[in-house]
Amino acid sequence: MKLFRRVVIVIFCLLLIPIAAVATAGAKQRFEDGPNRVFSGGPLVAGELHSGPDPDWSFVSEVPTIEMQLLSPAQSRRIWIAEHENKIYVWSGYMGNPIGRIWKRWPVQAERDGRAVIRINGVRYERQLKRIQSGDLLDGLTATITEKYPSATTRAAVEAGDVWVFEAAPRS
Amino acid sequence: MKNFYIFTAAAVVATILAVLFVPGVDDFVERTFQVYLGRAAR
Repeated sequence: MKLFRRVVIVIFCLLLIPIAAVATAGAKQRFEDGPNRVFSGGPLVAGELHSGPDPDWSFVSEVPTIEMQLLSPAQSRRIWIAEHENKIYVWSGYMGNPIGRIWKRWPVQAERDGRAVIRINGVRYERQLKRIQSGDLLDGLTATITEKYPSATTRAAVEAGDVWVFEAAPRS
Repeated sequence: MKNFYIFTAAAVVATILAVLFVPGVDDFVERTFQVYLGRAAR
């Protein structure tokens, strides 16, 4: 019994090292201007703030990831983006999975308050995230997504709630 | 065991300092974490 207890203590102590590394890296990123990979970053500060009419969004098909910050909470993350019929969309997978729901909290936050700022190629755009849960639009959009990314996003997955899709519409 | 506890505490402190101040360590940690997180979420 004593040996077992010691083994548990040793394993716990050794686990503390990677836990400390991950916690520190995550906390450090919160103070940065934008995200890095999976850890949320701080508010998007740098970069010109776009004003006026929307640009031709077709250029985002060449952009692998963007930085997106919600206004509430003011945290940013790096996500995929797709353009379809000159509108831009962001989405989150793993939403039907408990670990995914813990990992990906922004979709729930965005559904509550969709005000967001996205930064693409150093330019910031104020947007309003509007969730899309069904509709024929999803056929074309998911085709665009799977063409651009190694993703299994389908209309059925979106309608089942496994993938949450948002249009990043202009903020009025 | 006492030495082991001291070693663990020193390793945790060294890890935190490395992540905070050594360039590239935070990115390595995040990249590694991303791999395991992605596997767990699938």
